[in-house]
Amino acid sequence: MRRLVPIPPERRISLDFEGTAVPAQEGEPVAVSLIAAGHDVLARSVKYHRPRGPFCLAAACSQCLMRVDGTPNLYACRVPARAGMRLQRQNSYPSAKVDVFSAIDWLFPRGLDHHAMFAGVPVAEQVMARVARHLAGLGLLPEAAAPERPPAESLETGVAVVGGGAAGLAAGEVLGAAGVPFVLLEREEALGGRWRTGAPEPEAPPLALPRGSGMVRVATTALGLYTDARGRFLAALSARPEGPRLLLVRASRFLLAPGGHAPLMPFTNNDLPGVLSGRAVSDLVRRRGVLPAEKPVLVGHGPELPGLAWLLRESGARPALVLDTSASPARGAVAGRLVSAHGRTRVQGVTVDVAGRGRRKVACDAVVVSLPPSPAYELARHAGARVVFRAEPGSFAVEADGDGRTRVPEVLVAGDVLGADTAARAAASGRRAAGALVREMAR
Amino acid sequence: MSKALLCPCEDVTLGDVEVAIAKGYRDVESIKRYTGFGTGICQGKSCLTAVAQVLSRTPGVAPSAVLPFTPRPPTHPTELSILATLGVDEREVPSQGVPVSSGDSSTALRPATPVPARAQVVIVGGGVMGLALAHNLAKRGCTDVVVLEKGYLCAGASGRNGGGVRMQWGTSANIELARRSIELMKQFAGEMGINIWLRQGGYLFLARSRAVAERLEKNARLHNQHAVRTEILSPDKARDLVPELSLRGVVLAAYHPEDGVIFPWPFLWGYAQAAQKRGVRVETFTQVLGLQTSDGLVRSVQTDRGPIACDTVVLAAGAWSPGVARLAGVTLPNEPHRHEILSTEPLKPFLGPLVSVLDSGLYFSQSMRGEIVGGMGDPNEPAGLEQGSTLRFLARFARALTEQVPILGQVKVLRQWAGCYDVTPDNNPILGRTPGLPNLLQMSGFVGHGFMMAPAVAERMAEWMVTGNADELFTRFNLERFASGKLEREDMIIG
Repeated sequence: MRRLVPIPPERRISLDFEGTAVPAQEGEPVAVSLIAAGHDVLARSVKYHRPRGPFCLAAACSQCLMRVDGTPNLYACRVPARAGMRLQRQNSYPSAKVDVFSAIDWLFPRGLDHHAMFAGVPVAEQVMARVARHLAGLGLLPEAAAPERPPAESLETGVAVVGGGAAGLAAGEVLGAAGVPFVLLEREEALGGRWRTGAPEPEAPPLALPRGSGMVRVATTALGLYTDARGRFLAALSARPEGPRLLLVRASRFLLAPGGHAPLMPFTNNDLPGVLSGRAVSDLVRRRGVLPAEKPVLVGHGPELPGLAWLLRESGARPALVLDTSASPARGAVAGRLVSAHGRTRVQGVTVDVAGRGRRKVACDAVVVSLPPSPAYELARHAGARVVFRAEPGSFAVEADGDGRTRVPEVLVAGDVLGADTAARAAASGRRAAGALVREMAR
Repeated sequence: MSKALLCPCEDVTLGDVEVAIAKGYRDVESIKRYTGFGTGICQGKSCLTAVAQVLSRTPGVAPSAVLPFTPRPPTHPTELSILATLGVDEREVPSQGVPVSSGDSSTALRPATPVPARAQVVIVGGGVMGLALAHNLAKRGCTDVVVLEKGYLCAGASGRNGGGVRMQWGTSANIELARRSIELMKQFAGEMGINIWLRQGGYLFLARSRAVAERLEKNARLHNQHAVRTEILSPDKARDLVPELSLRGVVLAAYHPEDGVIFPWPFLWGYAQAAQKRGVRVETFTQVLGLQTSDGLVRSVQTDRGPIACDTVVLAAGAWSPGVARLAGVTLPNEPHRHEILSTEPLKPFLGPLVSVLDSGLYFSQSMRGEIVGGMGDPNEPAGLEQGSTLRFLARFARALTEQVPILGQVKVLRQWAGCYDVTPDNNPILGRTPGLPNLLQMSGFVGHGFMMAPAVAERMAEWMVTGNADELFTRFNLERFASGKLEREDMIIG
């Protein structure tokens, strides 16, 4: 791993990683600083104390949780670096590199059945309960009470749009052009979604930023689509200079385009540090200027896999293998599946099963899992939309008609939440949903 | 260390999920509870799809039966101190919560096979009461029993409570029942082969007003008469037990060290598995549509999988009991009331007792897994079968908890949910025969503490049913008492 773009001197700071100085660019997520400095193990897992490193870089897994300045369980991928920040690994003794409790993982190769273990065995049962209690939990109490928080803020608008990616921005463009007031919430610091941070797609439409009647709130994560006596509203958490702030957005319509989460692939040792989601890798390369691997193995399927392979090659990496798990492999990829990853505290190789050629070992310094994202159906489901499982491609999606209307009249959906797709088709669905809202609100 | 992880938050492996499916847990909600997948900090974002794929490849599982688990707000871990900034109008009535039902018909998971045409006993409700009763009947030789549950095991209040167990009650009957229950809980793992993680860290009740303080003192004297050694503590002594507590405004505390917390879900699996081994049929995803009566007896139970002719029907449907009773023309005085609850990120152990402020209904404890699990009653909560979550609750609870334990301000809420208390006019259960329908037995109305009472109540109920020997419990708490007005009110209800 290396920085493709050197840290500008005026933004170069140092973090305190358990006594080791780690160079960082001010404001970048501390997980990025640690990856760029070659630190792999950021945590130990809850039960088996397996080594863990960043996976999704999107606050949708739990593999980069750290204690930062005395606060437990913070997503290292969401904590902006500040000079002197104290970063500590959790759940490890005496250290995350050499953790004696990782013996649990070796002693119980087939896993621990916490339901049946020592159940009803005199003495052993009590001892186990005591030991289990002390091994359980992740992170110690915070060092201090919370600082004063800014008061909750409330907004009212015509349409609340969640997500500033391909679908949300296309919707914003249509709503803005029609003069429909809207508020668009984006959880990242910048709009654009995969345009800015995803694997390049050949037919992606140009990025259109909202204009006209819209208001944009970036760094704002929707927490729930609730109701109260006044009706439906979004609750969101907004990262502001004065501190995190609760934001309520009341609207007559909700257009949900939150995209999806990085799914994991169930191969053996799929949690080893160095196994990264495809979107995490493209984000590292494109937004953060960090190349996380020189010789990665790419595995997965879908439109992002070839784009990611191209992006990594363009950035100077030499992929060891591009493995396509689908029935019709992408150009430049070989058909097959990943059996297991190897390495003690980080990925050093993989065993693959290549179609027609059997199993073999491949040396590599990372595994990049590029799968279509799992639709983030949570908010739509809060409101009462129906979520269905589609055997092909094997994920849940929100049920909606051609205009993105769900069974809840005031809630529409667009983009990957309907089932992962290309940026062009996500944008088209955003435009259709917004168009339907414009027609409806003109009536 | 060769493991394929499906849920890295909780270290749930592919093998764990396959075992759960092989044991018969064939819906996502049950697999979640049995394996623990999706209960960690990511709340299912990275694991749910992978688990659904494994389930969908299981022979006999149709894609339409692969439903996602209910996504609980907040979708991102959120600090209590931030939630506490939301102003709440205390006079307002709490509204409908989320997730709102998606109208998914329960038929997606309904077994295609018919129910047995006949059974000696049909128990309506597969919560802890019904399953504990089924187990106790089977143990006494009565195995021709069918338990009907409209959802998965743990779908109702038995799967939604905070897991508190205590002997600190306001009436002799409840103190004795709770004491026996805790005794049985200690033997549970040995008898059933499944851990329930009983941790006797005590219950610490705080009183903020003179009136509540007097109630605690009066009840402590009653406890001591029953050899339950509740102590009245000064605020300083209470702080010795929980150094993180702020005791501003606290008048005194009551503490009983043998109270504690358990993990509710394994009780249901343990009772169900033990009963099934003896021949009891536990039919999940099966709705009761009617109770056919004639000549002063219930003759059969109509379900959406066919009728079951029977000799005895036990109504153990918790907050849903009044609705089921109505099918036989019986009116129960119970009213369902939503109680909201939440769970935080898991922390290393620091909190011994379950702490409750009786004045406000705030309670919180630390689970075996390290999460702070807590809730708080809302005096304005209307009656109704509502199980959705509100932001109002998060704000009220967050403010109350961070006032009591300021160091928790930066601790993050992972998920919130709600269940229904099954409230009776005197806060005591309804047990025994139904006037006019003697073979319809009542077993409901436990006002939020049914879970901890179930082992003892089910034991006595099964004994009474099988032997026919008189037991004062089934006259003391029978349905007739509401007509005759002989009520003995329980005053140690949290929330």
